[in-house]
Amino acid sequence: MQRLIIRKEILSSVRDVRLQVAGIFLLSLMLVAVLVGRQGQQQIQKQRAEAQATMYDKWVNQGLKHPHSAAHYGQFAFKPKSALSFLDVGIDNYTGVSVFLEAHRQHEVLFSAAQDSNGMTRFGEMSVALVLQVLLPLLIIFLTFNVFTREREEGTLKLVHAQGVSMRQLFMGKLWGTYLMVLLIFIPVVCIAYFVLNRETAGLDPHNTGKFVALTLSYALYFLVFILLCILISAFSKSSTFSQLVLLGLWIVACIILPKATTNLADKIHPIPSQFEFRESIKEKVSNGIDGHNPSDVRLAELRKQTLEEYGVSTIDELPVNWSGIAMQAGEEYTDQVYDQEFSRIEEIYKKQNRLSEWVGFINPFLAIRNLSMAIAGTDFQHHVVFTRAAEDYRRAFVKKMNKDMEVNHKPGIAYGDYNVGEEMWSSVEPFAYHLPKLGSILKNQWRSVSALSLWLVVLFALVPLYIAKVPKL
Amino acid sequence: MNVLNHIIRFELMSLWRDQTLKLLLVIFLAAGVYGIYFGKFEIEKQEARIAVVQGLERNQFDSLVAWVGLDTTIHANKKNFERAISPTGVGRERHFTYYVTHDTPPLAGLCLGQRDLFPVYYGINITDLARQVNVGELANPMKLLTGNFDLSYVFVFLLPLLLISLFYNLYASEKEGGTLSLLQAQPVSLTTIFLGKGILRLLIVWGVSGLLLLIGFVLQGISLTENINLFSRWLSVIFGYSLLWTILMSGIVALRRGNSLSAMMGLGLWLVFTLITPALLNLLVNIKEPVPNRAEVIHATRTLNDQIWETPRSFVMDRFNENNPEFGLIDTSDFNKWYYAGLTLLDEEVKSRNADIEKQVTRRQEWLSRWDWLAPAGVVHEYLSELSETDRDSHLRFITFLHEYHNDLKTIYYEKIFSSQTFNRDDLAALQSKIGD
Repeated sequence: MQRLIIRKEILSSVRDVRLQVAGIFLLSLMLVAVLVGRQGQQQIQKQRAEAQATMYDKWVNQGLKHPHSAAHYGQFAFKPKSALSFLDVGIDNYTGVSVFLEAHRQHEVLFSAAQDSNGMTRFGEMSVALVLQVLLPLLIIFLTFNVFTREREEGTLKLVHAQGVSMRQLFMGKLWGTYLMVLLIFIPVVCIAYFVLNRETAGLDPHNTGKFVALTLSYALYFLVFILLCILISAFSKSSTFSQLVLLGLWIVACIILPKATTNLADKIHPIPSQFEFRESIKEKVSNGIDGHNPSDVRLAELRKQTLEEYGVSTIDELPVNWSGIAMQAGEEYTDQVYDQEFSRIEEIYKKQNRLSEWVGFINPFLAIRNLSMAIAGTDFQHHVVFTRAAEDYRRAFVKKMNKDMEVNHKPGIAYGDYNVGEEMWSSVEPFAYHLPKLGSILKNQWRSVSALSLWLVVLFALVPLYIAKVPKL
Repeated sequence: MNVLNHIIRFELMSLWRDQTLKLLLVIFLAAGVYGIYFGKFEIEKQEARIAVVQGLERNQFDSLVAWVGLDTTIHANKKNFERAISPTGVGRERHFTYYVTHDTPPLAGLCLGQRDLFPVYYGINITDLARQVNVGELANPMKLLTGNFDLSYVFVFLLPLLLISLFYNLYASEKEGGTLSLLQAQPVSLTTIFLGKGILRLLIVWGVSGLLLLIGFVLQGISLTENINLFSRWLSVIFGYSLLWTILMSGIVALRRGNSLSAMMGLGLWLVFTLITPALLNLLVNIKEPVPNRAEVIHATRTLNDQIWETPRSFVMDRFNENNPEFGLIDTSDFNKWYYAGLTLLDEEVKSRNADIEKQVTRRQEWLSRWDWLAPAGVVHEYLSELSETDRDSHLRFITFLHEYHNDLKTIYYEKIFSSQTFNRDDLAALQSKIGD
């Protein structure tokens, strides 16, 4: 019986010209998004990988010079464009893409695409995620808003009931029928997307397939939640017009208004300091100490005393090693501590802000899938943080190497300009390589969104047997 | 004309008795007022940041002016006096930091535009500008992505929805309510009747929009008399946009379809014009005209900087003397002269590199503007941010101003440095006038 209902649902929808047009439109939109998006991802990734290689080449071939001059010549880290980012661009257009790495200073990751675009960019970039999160639910609304109300309005609900079909059977039939149809649009796109996935960047992310499956399952879950919600509302609505109005209203609030309101609220609850305050705080802590009672000249004097004691000499000139190298590395490590503290303070505020929208996912499933989707696609804020850290760790390691070489090999008494090293030293620094986080850590980080979607599903399914008998048949 | 008047009057009466219309208008106005407050909140945040750096700059400069009058026979005064008169500065805080601010344009709070993507102030000193502008304002990228719920958003996104909900059942409700045949029996043509109904709805939307814009001016404390020109230009953009949606919806009404299908078509148009076409254009422009790699500019800076330090001083002085004859021939013996001449070279290099990069960005904009007629919402938003001076061009004008400001400062400082002079009281007074009030 259930199979019959499912068939009837699918047939009546497929015969509807309006739905045919809408379905084909969405399919072609997603095809364009997949194919053009994938080309864009490949193009950007190629540009960045080339830039990364060129810059490393410049580093290796910078010629003979003092290691500290080399640490100032510096290196670059380019943020790789994740292979799945063409499915969901996330915050990619609003984060910097490259960072200059040199001694003493942690520079910012700079130059977002949005800064090099006009206001149109604020309307978002077409991606499969946009279609799946925002437009497909709209199609679901038009598939489902009258599944019960029309039967009631045409008087067929009573007939069906008289034939011994339970309300529950009818409900489930309509649910799976609609779900099958949505999957019919969704699955081919998924297959094509997987087929064209950029495999050249496999080295960057060996877990592409797992993430791809996780992404697909997340959307499958989201659609099921959305369809359940729509059919429940249709079942309890007095008229088709009413249920259409309610569903469209919900859609506008959930997909258009609530996301903005949530982010704005988060910004009010957890305010961000200005760039000026941030820089001043770093400057203050570097010069007066993290606790405010340990000024840099005292720190330096302390280090000098320690070093002299360590080598059993009484003046800097008698040291067998290069004092500047030691002092510089110590200074470097102190500022690193300050940077760590200050940067993580800001990151923590951002994360608190973002967490609010993850919690609101329990009220608004759109936000849950939005956050989960960009996390799995490698385009959320956490991925940006991981990249920034990787670049910073790389900077610290090569600057330390330069300082160490200066400490050990730049013998006292030799002028700065007279101690030079070359390619052998430069190429002993490995090129910058960055690996995307694994799926496990992504899901762990997004547990709120995963639980929100699961909870929605469980609660909605639990509601069905409780209330299904109360669905009005007239 | 009389008939039309008559229709409009009666339609107004029947609309007035309709609760749905009032509800829709209240929701629209409420969204607008929220947008106005949100914009005000964001702008006040920016202004507070500007005020902090301006206050700091003023205080610190006042100290310099006080120090220049210090009695240097007292040993303790010596260091501060030196700091005040030395164009190269002394000690760890070598140079005085000037804060150049992008002051809030009058209507910025109504349309925040691209202003949140860029810093509204830069702290700069007289060393090279090239390495001082590579900073961004702290902002959560998630917030930048989600965008601002300001008044322009309400007009660009929600105004069409209001129009759609006012128009979609214009024909169908008469038909479904059974009143269509009554109308057809009237001596007036159906077209005239619907024209009257349509005009009235457009007038209502115009009225509400104008009211909302006026509320925006009042709540944000924007002077109407000083900005009457901007007010009327904003209004005409919004009126034009409403007219466009009215025409689109009239087309749907003319198809004489049912309630549900008309609503679906209206919503479809809205999706296409405000969501889909802008998003498609943004996707395509990335392939047609990719975002330039600005790291190349930093690379050029560091390469030149490397050359400056790693090669004999004549490398800098030869180039500097050729480009800047106004300082007379500078020799290589003085570290300071060589150092500042080197910084000038960096700025010149970056200037030409940035011009190349900006050309690539311009090609992006040109590609977009060739196709933007497909995305009227994008065009309207761009117009509004242009009028509010919150678009990208406004930021570029600020950057140009920043360069001029830096150049002016350099002229004053470098004249002293290259002639080995120090500042006196008058020089500092002249510099103080650059800080403003």
